[in-house]
Amino acid sequence: MLKFGNLLVAGLVTGSIYAVFAVCVAVWYRVSNILNLAVGDFAMAGALGVDNLTRVRQWPLAAAIAATLAVVAGFAYAYDQVVLRLAQDGRHRHEGIVITFFFTFALSFFIDGVAKILFGTDVHAAPALWNGSSLNIASGLHVERAGILVLACAVLSGAMFALYIRYTLSGKAMEACGENYLGARIVGIDTRRYRRIIFVVTAILAAVFGIVESPITGFTYISGATISVTGFIAAAYGGFRNPGRALLAGLVIGMAEALLGGYVSAQYADTVLYAILAALVLARPRALGFESAVGA
Amino acid sequence: MIIPRGPLSTTGLVIIVGLVVMVLFAQQYAGSVFILAFTYAIVTAGMAVQIGFSQQIAFSQSVFMGLGAYGVALLNTHLAISSLLAAPIVMVASGLVALLLGSVVTRVSGLALAVATIMLPLIAVGYVSSAGYLGGSVGMPLASSLWSAATPGATVLGNGLITVAVLGAVVFVSARILHSDIGLELYVLGVDERTAAAMGVSTARRKLELFVLGSMFAALGGAVYAGTQLFVPATLVSPTAELSLLMMLFVGGRRSILGAVAGALAIQYVSGASSWVSVNILVVEGVLITVVLLVDPEGLAGIAASLTARLRRQAPAAGVPGAGDPAAGHSATGHPASGFGRSWAARAGGAASPGTPLVECVGIGKDYGGLRVLDAVGLALPARGLFGLCGPNGAGKSTLLGVIGGSVSPSAGRVLLDGAEVTRLPPPQRFHLGVSRTFQAVHLIGGRTVLDNVAVSCLRSHRSGLAAGIARSRLAEARDLAMAALEYLGMGRLSGQEVSGLTLENQRMVEFARAVAARPRLLLLDEPSSGLSEPQREHLKDVLRTVGGMTCVLLVEHDLGLVAQISEKIYVLASGRLVFEGGPEEFRNSAVVNSLLVGI
Repeated sequence: MLKFGNLLVAGLVTGSIYAVFAVCVAVWYRVSNILNLAVGDFAMAGALGVDNLTRVRQWPLAAAIAATLAVVAGFAYAYDQVVLRLAQDGRHRHEGIVITFFFTFALSFFIDGVAKILFGTDVHAAPALWNGSSLNIASGLHVERAGILVLACAVLSGAMFALYIRYTLSGKAMEACGENYLGARIVGIDTRRYRRIIFVVTAILAAVFGIVESPITGFTYISGATISVTGFIAAAYGGFRNPGRALLAGLVIGMAEALLGGYVSAQYADTVLYAILAALVLARPRALGFESAVGA
Repeated sequence: MIIPRGPLSTTGLVIIVGLVVMVLFAQQYAGSVFILAFTYAIVTAGMAVQIGFSQQIAFSQSVFMGLGAYGVALLNTHLAISSLLAAPIVMVASGLVALLLGSVVTRVSGLALAVATIMLPLIAVGYVSSAGYLGGSVGMPLASSLWSAATPGATVLGNGLITVAVLGAVVFVSARILHSDIGLELYVLGVDERTAAAMGVSTARRKLELFVLGSMFAALGGAVYAGTQLFVPATLVSPTAELSLLMMLFVGGRRSILGAVAGALAIQYVSGASSWVSVNILVVEGVLITVVLLVDPEGLAGIAASLTARLRRQAPAAGVPGAGDPAAGHSATGHPASGFGRSWAARAGGAASPGTPLVECVGIGKDYGGLRVLDAVGLALPARGLFGLCGPNGAGKSTLLGVIGGSVSPSAGRVLLDGAEVTRLPPPQRFHLGVSRTFQAVHLIGGRTVLDNVAVSCLRSHRSGLAAGIARSRLAEARDLAMAALEYLGMGRLSGQEVSGLTLENQRMVEFARAVAARPRLLLLDEPSSGLSEPQREHLKDVLRTVGGMTCVLLVEHDLGLVAQISEKIYVLASGRLVFEGGPEEFRNSAVVNSLLVGI
């Protein structure tokens, strides 16, 4: 029972990592119909940036965090203004998920490449925000302090976006942008503004999360891609558009991974998990919210 | 500058460039860079067919590339089979694996296919990095290369020439497929799967074939990789490797074989030629892809195409064929005496046995969750005549049309065609039995001419395999049939135009022509007059009258006047139930109809 409890707690922490990125992917997809595969890279940039400023340049932690977040936000803003504006509002508006997908792939490559130049190729992590040994919840049931922060971050961000979309007028307007771009523009919603705001907000959120989470796993310049893929997968099982469901899917996938690792095989936990996930898509594509129809 | 279009000239260009490069550079460092680049081009050429052209986004190429490479390495080191002999063995074996895997994976499409297949490299990475006999997270060396000669220089040259030859073969096969009648099917499948199915394309089969084709080419590329590099790194299989392959495809141009080859060459060359680039490859690739896609979503091939188009325009204009006055195109409508009309009338009338209705619906019901859209609907239509289907919005008209056409499977009841049950038959098979349809919103295939859009429904390739497209193309035949149909409808002059530039009326007429060109026995039309002006409606009425004399037409329509004027019998649906059926006279005077549809 204790093993189960510890696995569950560990799984909840891993799951909340997936969950936050799933939320970021889902929210922005809902506004822009673009799947952002660069969220993980923003997280990596946040963590390694703070690490670099505090460790190498000896900046105070608060200043390092503020500066890193400012750079991430500034870069996200500039990227939207230059690339996304040209891609979505330009001469030939890029239709279809496939091409826009590649802009975020390219962004991911670019950020990784710059991070390699700036931060090198070693594993690093931002300083822990909440120091101390792991907490004892009950006898023998441990949880790391960073894990609690991660979980809190996940639940907060998921709940925040879910409430925002559900209860505020601007949340509804945001939703409209993704549902019907032209229709939203006709009724006076500035779709470009929403796309920009949410892109910048999710970039900052990802960076914050990277800073909070990095003491647990440690990052290198290519960690972003893996994180993005897990976020993408969790978002997929949440139906891509629904941040609440994406959050839940992330948590469930994380717990499944931990339990498989504990009870089935530590070595092949991921393999089994991915096989199960693939089987799920193939068996129930509609129930999982994939918009495309099932072939005849 | 002239871009080659046909399969032979494309292949010729690739082989000539490859030979020249190999002969010039084989003895230098650049030679090995080019060999690697050509190796990747083998994979991306297959991806251009599968992913670019047919838009079946499967993230499985790196896995099959790994399968090919590790397969050759295993056969080479353990069984001492030469790499050159191992390559075809491994390719066939990979084809079988792809067939098995594909028959599961290709049941879904679009995003679901992408998500399901992105698991494959993730699973493979975990497996490869912990499999000791494959060299774990390092990789696996080979004993001998594809070509072993006395001097190292001759070995490199031999390997290079084999790589170029394999690339040439792959390019030829891919280009043949894209230029054949099956290429047109794949194009439609990529743009709009539902339309493809309604026009007789066996979508499930095509998707599986594409998956197998792409996987076999990827495995072949992997085999060549192993045989020329003499080492299989574990990183060959990973999501990152997958992305790199996609990058090459999209930079080059996803819908062009030459583009895909050029993309692989460009990216591999810049990363191999300069050490600064190879260290900062991520930044270079990121910027390169963003810039290329911003300039043209079709990549380098698209840029080259628009450049040549611009050069041609500056040259003395030859004029666009068929760009005449579109309105004049409709003046002569329907020559029942023409070849097309006669063959249609013969087909439509011939098969029906007397006494049996052509199509019969018995007790059709359809529920979506708790919502009942159709409830015990029954109707029977003979081999010839025009029949109207009316009803308020949401009455279930389009759903009923879908049930008859096969795109909607009913929750209850049966659909009979010539007395034989077809309830569970998917749309392509019903199309082959003579059921053809148009859609409420126009579903034309953008980027293709009117002629090609109509030819989609005339393809004989519907029932043959992908391999048949390599052997011979019957696209010209289909285009002739399509032209006959267009001329029959008096639309011959539109044939050369690209469809997205047409007016709404012409788009509707093209979709109508597409449905008619198959010489259907049952024609299902979903609101053909919506969005048309009064004179255009008059014209449509004439066309429908002619067509109704040849075949059975079921017409969903909101224009009650039009329906009453041309239909011999009218059905009215309300809230999923059939509330009226009768001739135009009764229809005009019916209290039910008036209260429902006219509001009196």
